Amino acid sequence: MQCKMLLPAVSVFMISACAQPVPQQPLPLYHYEDSSLTYCLYKAHMTNESLLNFHNSIERTIERAEQSRSGRVPPGMYANLGYIYLQSGKSKEAITVFKKEKTFYPESTHFMDKMIKKIEGEK
Amino acid sequence: MIRIQVITFFTLASVILFTSAYAEEIFTKGDLFPNMYSEQPRSILVLPPINKSTNPAAPEYYMATIAIPLTLTGYYVFPVELVSEMLKQENIYDTDLLYTRPLNTFGEDFGADAVLYTRIKKWGMTHTGLLSRLLISFDAAIVSTNTSEQLWKESRTVMVDLSGENTSTTGSAGLLIKSMTTDADSVAADSVSYAHKANSRLIESLPFGPYHENYLQDQEIEVK
Repeated sequence: MQCKMLLPAVSVFMISACAQPVPQQPLPLYHYEDSSLTYCLYKAHMTNESLLNFHNSIERTIERAEQSRSGRVPPGMYANLGYIYLQSGKSKEAITVFKKEKTFYPESTHFMDKMIKKIEGEK
Repeated sequence: MIRIQVITFFTLASVILFTSAYAEEIFTKGDLFPNMYSEQPRSILVLPPINKSTNPAAPEYYMATIAIPLTLTGYYVFPVELVSEMLKQENIYDTDLLYTRPLNTFGEDFGADAVLYTRIKKWGMTHTGLLSRLLISFDAAIVSTNTSEQLWKESRTVMVDLSGENTSTTGSAGLLIKSMTTDADSVAADSVSYAHKANSRLIESLPFGPYHENYLQDQEIEVK
């Protein structure tokens, strides 16, 4: 009888032991996609297609920012996006993301303000 | 007689080696880089490296991969491409010219607290038997734009094992590689992944920056 009582307890214990999650890798401070590579390939080819690939990997990095310890978009990522907008002549969009870079990272304020001023001067 | 001398020599040599290994001083981040903790720079501007290696593509790989380990250490890193565009507009194309540019101008023009200078000494393959390794050797220093003081420096030789360590074929980068048409592109993919590894090792001794949880709490960590 006692044994029968014990059996479920033991099996629960065993199942829970098996279900122990594998110790998870701690999340990195920021989530990155493959923008290093797409940037390199863009520099090598300088084509619309390689620029688009670079653009897409930055967009993915921004979309998946939550998959990190900080939950923030990595430093410089909005500024990179602004650079891409400038390459395609989208100055309004560039200004919007340069402002976002400033909001997330006040360290960039001086540089971003300079960029925004430059774009507005060129208009 | 000669034999005895040889034996004594080796015994002495091993004793010296043994004691010197134990007498080797242990340095912490706080011992080596006190200026990092007193100045507390928040932002780093990465300058293109001076390339003394025989690989003309080395600076490009370095620049594409250096920002990630620096941001993961907790610093704000200025966007590499935008900075280089800005410098080009000032007609600064030459790395040597950049390295002699007064430090305070990086503070004035970009608002950078510190600048990272790098010299790539070697970037090439070494072959030992069947083992192929990529050897990357570089010197780097972070200097304050406010005081012109050196805050951190490192000199490293990194060997990246190329046998079965191709990390670039997994994940989303792998998908991209599949769609790559040229061999040059897959070489670039490998190089980017190796450069990333080497750069992460280069800055291992750098104290954590303000966006890291352990900021100003790593003075006692040993530098290996």
